[in-house]
Order: sequence, then structure tokens, then C-alpha cells
Amino acid sequence: MTPDRHAAQRERAQRLRLDVTAEPPDGGEPAEEPGAGPAEESAARPPEQPPPTPAAKPPPAAFDFMGALRGAVAQGADLPAALEGAAGALPESVRDVVHRAARRLRGEYSQDEWGFDEEFVEIVYPLFELMYDRWWRVTTTGVEHIPAHDRALLVANHAGVLPWDATMMSVAILKNHPLPRHPRFMVLDWAFRLPWASAFMRRVGGVVASPYNAIRLLEQGHLVMVFPEGTKGAGKPFSERYRLQRFGRGGFVELALRTGAPIVPVAIVGSEEIYPKLGESRLLARLSGTPYFPLTPTFPWLGLAGAVPLPSKWRIEFCQPIDLSSYGPEAAEDRALVFELSERVRETIQSAVYENLLARGSAFL
Amino acid sequence: MGRRVLITGVAGFWGTELARCLERSPEVEYIAGLDVRPPAADLAHTEFIRADIRNPLISKLLPQTRVDTVVHCDVLLVPEPGKAPEQLHDINVIGSLQLLAACEKTEEIRTIVVRGSSAIYGAEPNAPEFFTEDMAGRFPFRTRFQRDIGELESYFENFSRRFDHVSVTTLRYQPTLGTAIDSPLTRYLHQPVVPTQLGYDPLLQFVHAEDAVGALEAAVMRPVRGPVNVTGEGSVSLSRLLRLAGKVPLPIPAPLFSAALGIGGRLGLGRLPPEAVPWLRNGLTIDGTRLEEEIGFRPRSTLEAVEDFVEELHGRRVLPGLRTAATGSATHRNGGRTRARARA
Repeated sequence: MTPDRHAAQRERAQRLRLDVTAEPPDGGEPAEEPGAGPAEESAARPPEQPPPTPAAKPPPAAFDFMGALRGAVAQGADLPAALEGAAGALPESVRDVVHRAARRLRGEYSQDEWGFDEEFVEIVYPLFELMYDRWWRVTTTGVEHIPAHDRALLVANHAGVLPWDATMMSVAILKNHPLPRHPRFMVLDWAFRLPWASAFMRRVGGVVASPYNAIRLLEQGHLVMVFPEGTKGAGKPFSERYRLQRFGRGGFVELALRTGAPIVPVAIVGSEEIYPKLGESRLLARLSGTPYFPLTPTFPWLGLAGAVPLPSKWRIEFCQPIDLSSYGPEAAEDRALVFELSERVRETIQSAVYENLLARGSAFL
Repeated sequence: MGRRVLITGVAGFWGTELARCLERSPEVEYIAGLDVRPPAADLAHTEFIRADIRNPLISKLLPQTRVDTVVHCDVLLVPEPGKAPEQLHDINVIGSLQLLAACEKTEEIRTIVVRGSSAIYGAEPNAPEFFTEDMAGRFPFRTRFQRDIGELESYFENFSRRFDHVSVTTLRYQPTLGTAIDSPLTRYLHQPVVPTQLGYDPLLQFVHAEDAVGALEAAVMRPVRGPVNVTGEGSVSLSRLLRLAGKVPLPIPAPLFSAALGIGGRLGLGRLPPEAVPWLRNGLTIDGTRLEEEIGFRPRSTLEAVEDFVEELHGRRVLPGLRTAATGSATHRNGGRTRARARA
């Protein structure tokens, strides 16, 4: 079973690291079952009307595509079928994209029980990769400390108002790990009350921050990211940057003890400068229902443009994993041990944060 | 000696189907069906008892049947918006109380199986993703129906505590999908344009209609104590469900959703009960391990239930009537009407 999984992971690495536009359409067009339903018969006609135009003439292809699409819809075909029929007019590379869109519109994609949609992640991945490479110029070290298979708990320091640190950690793993996998992350539950955010989080691997969810994910052999500082970390003022807050009640240690998952401490440097929080407004927090309402040099003064993060320079270090399996699951009841281990992890991350701060030098250049 | 089983609500889809399954079972010696109207389907080996479960008279009837198992199907799981909440309360709560009073008087009883609902957990945004059986009551009940279901379960729980020799199983069902079932959910999915809440994409779980009855039968055959979740494995998001069914979503801003449903209902579109609003915003997923491990029944996955439903919906599957004859699964008395509506 393990070699199979590794093959899948290796394939994932290849898919993610090849530039999407440079990828040749290696004849691997999704095998379309012809005429799956009566509705598609009418849509099967349009591709014959425009002759398969070579990629040399892009504007006519686009017109043909729109024409065929309009024709098929007018004939009463549903949108996915019409799209597929009309895609014949397009050059090959674009055709694949249209085919994929049509397939997704028919609901033919996979989704695990948590709502995670790997294909969706691969669609949005290039944007996040761009942020990683060009905007924050992230340097990642120690990625080999993440186990290639089975459960592990990634524990990191938390900063920045939006979960960019979780996103960049994911990109760091997908980009650099020899056998990459998609990590799952715990999201504070108020994000799941928001429209769009809740739907988006679920698709990219977020789950409600609850020990039940974390245990289930770990038992299924996932890589789970947690930020034990919670809102205390994300909402601390700029003057206290890189000073780790209390690690809650040490719940993450209990999770690791109970499931036997190793803890990988992660230090993230750079996330504190993306939204320098100078103050906060209690009134606006109460009105908007958020745990805190940050005031930064740009937000909320510039409106939504204020939500664009500043281009600081980032470093992410994955530290030596801490194996707790020797304690056994019963040790999760031992409060003193839980606090001690929690403190140990916190200190590890804190010192790694200081080292990386020194190594980074200037915050923005 | 075989089992003697009494089924309440035998005229409904669940009761009829269960009676049909048990009639084929060699272990069952006698089946009695209780309802206010006779079942539409022909149940040759089921003795029909015309009685109202809310009437104290059943305390006299039940001991005479000398049954050892009672399956309580006369529970309205999906609150019908047309029905007054008082009526629902009457059937679910008062009916159950009368039934339990009758069970006390019947000495032979060893097993009670109740058809319950996963609504007891509540569809909350901060809920853990997969509720296990011990997690009921973590969130306050928000609607009358939820309170009723909670009350109903507590009566049965008290009963099993008082009468140690009786094992009471409450099956907590996720919504059942099947074109043979006429419920607000299936009517909602039959509409060509389906209202959703803008920006929300909840994770939902379903039970295949055939497995819903299968789980009841399995629980009769292998009773366990306490609540058991019944759900198809995995989950499906609402947007994907609608895409698979080929329906066009109509996103409505969430604060206006219930108002819009009310207006739509007045215009003759499918109505939804108030529970459906948080359910279609936050979703509700439960863990079905106990059913599989302790009762030994594994329902089809959520996705399989959805795919079968969609195929039936589009008429791509064998005609439902023919399938009935072949597999012994009957069409519900309302099935014809539902399909007529789908065509309209």
C-alpha cells in the first residue's frame, strides 16, 4: 500500500512543479464518455460545424467557440455539454481547461469527507506559488523533517490577520518536499460563519478547530497544522511581534499523545510584518462579530485594498520532529506532562524564530 | 420460536418497507402493523391493527399481541411545513409516551427500535465535523422539532434505564434520498431551480432509501443499546449535489433566505421546514462507525445514494415500477405524485 501512495505523491510533486502553461497536453485528455445522456446528443453536433482550427489563429477560434457555445445552448443543451461540444474549436491547451471546467460543472470531481478538493487546490495553487516566490520570497529549510507518510502534527507560531502563514506553509511543503502531501489546517470557527470564506476554507483543507476533528484527521494519517496561539497570536500588536503567546491549554500536546503523532515545530518569520497591527477597534469588532478588529497603516483606511499584505521577506523552518509515542496515549491525562511538553515545543519554536529573524536581516529587502 | 414484531406507522413508507423485509425473514414468526389507515401495499403476513398511537387504548391492545420487539416508525422526521407544529409534537412526543406506557404493560418485550433523527446534533458552524453518538446535546436545541426529537429520545432512554431487560436502540438518521420518498428534501431537489444561500457550501450526508429500511431491519435483528448514527459514508457538498443532479442553484443572501423560501412557498414552490435553513448553511455530518461495527450494517456511501437518486430522477435507471417487482422495494404511496410533480 505504501509504494502506491508514494507513487501518487511523486506524481503530485511532478504536477505541481511543472509550470502549468508549459505542460504539454500529452494526449492525456480526460476520457469523455460519449453520449452519457440524451441531452448530449444535440451538443455532439456543434463541434463538426467549425473545422478543428489549429492554434495558429487564436481570434477566430475564440469566435468559433462562442458561436458553437451559443448554438448549443440555443438548441437546449445544458451548459457543461455545450461547453464540451464547443471546446472542439479551441486550441488543445485551452481545450483541456474547458473540458475540465465542463467536468467540474457536472459535479464530476472528487472531494473527501471533509470537503477537501485536491483539483480545486491545484487550480488556485499558481496564485499562492506566485505569492511564495515573488511577493514574500520565502526561504524554506528543514522540509525533510516532515514525514512523507502517516500522521504528523505541525505546530507553528501564528501571526497576520488572514491565514497566509498556513497557506505559505502548505506551499512550502508542496513545493519542496520530495513526496509532497496536502496538509490540513485548523481554522477558528468564526471563519466558518462567514460566507465564501467557509466554503473556500473547506475546499483547500481547512476544518473547524476542534480536538475531535484533529484526532479524526490524524487517525486517518493526515498532516495537520495547528496554531496553538490562536487569536492571541494573530491579534497581537506590532510592537510584540515574534514574541510567542501562551500556547492555550496545551491541547495540541494531548492530540499528539493520544494519536501517537510526532510534533514538528515550525518557525515562521515574515508573517508579522504583512499586516502591522497598530491598534484595534473594540466597537468595530463587536459590530462585525470578529474576535478583534485590526487597525493597520492601510486597513481599514484603504478599504479592501488595505487587505493586500505587505511584501515582507519570509523564512520558514521546519524543526526536528519530537516523537511522543513513547509516552503512550494515557499520558494525555497527565496535566503536568502536557504543560511541560507544550512549553518545550513553544521554546523550540521561539528560539528558531529568533535564529531565523537574525538570518533574514532586513524585513522587507 | 421466532420473533414477534410490532411496527408502528405501518402505512408509511418506512413501516411498509420494513414489514415487507421482515415478512421474508425466516426468524420472524409474527408481524403486527399499527396505524390509523391500512397500508397501501399488500402485506400478506402482517396483521394490521387499526389504532391511533396517541390513544391510550393501545395500552390494552399491545399486551394482547405478545410481541417481543417494537419498531417505532410512526415518527415524523421531516417536519412538514403544511402541518402545524402542534400536530407534529402530538405524534412524536405524545404518541411515543403512549407507546412506552403500552410497552410497560407488555411483559414479553425485549427490544425497542426507534427511528430518530440526526437533527438532534444541530447544524452549527462551530460543530466538529463528524458527530459521534455521545455528542448529542452539545448545542442547544433551536427549533421545536429538535426539542421534540430530544424529548422523544430522553423518554426512550429513561425507559431503558428503568427496564433493564429491554434494549432500546435509537437510530439517528441522516436525510434519506430516494425518488420513492416524498419529503420536503426530495421536493426541494425536484425543483428545476434550487435556492441556496449565497457564499455557503455545506457538507451534507444522505442515506440511500433502501439502506434506511435495511438499517431498521438490521437493528431489529441485532439490537444494541443506545443511539446509533445512520449515514452513508463520506459527504457531498451542496454545490456538488446540485451539479450532479443537473440543477441550477439560485443563490440568495443568507439573511434573506428564509424570507425568500416563505415567499416561494406561497407561490407554490417547494417549502422547507425551518430546520433546513441552518442545515443548508452549515451542513451536518455524523460518524457511522457504530452502526457498522456493532450492528454490522454498512449503508451505501453518500455519493452512491446521490448518484442513484440522480439516475432515478433523470429516468436513466430502470423504471422504478419494474425495479419494485424485481428487488421487492415498493414505491411509496406518494411516489406517483412526486414524479408527476417532477415532470411538471
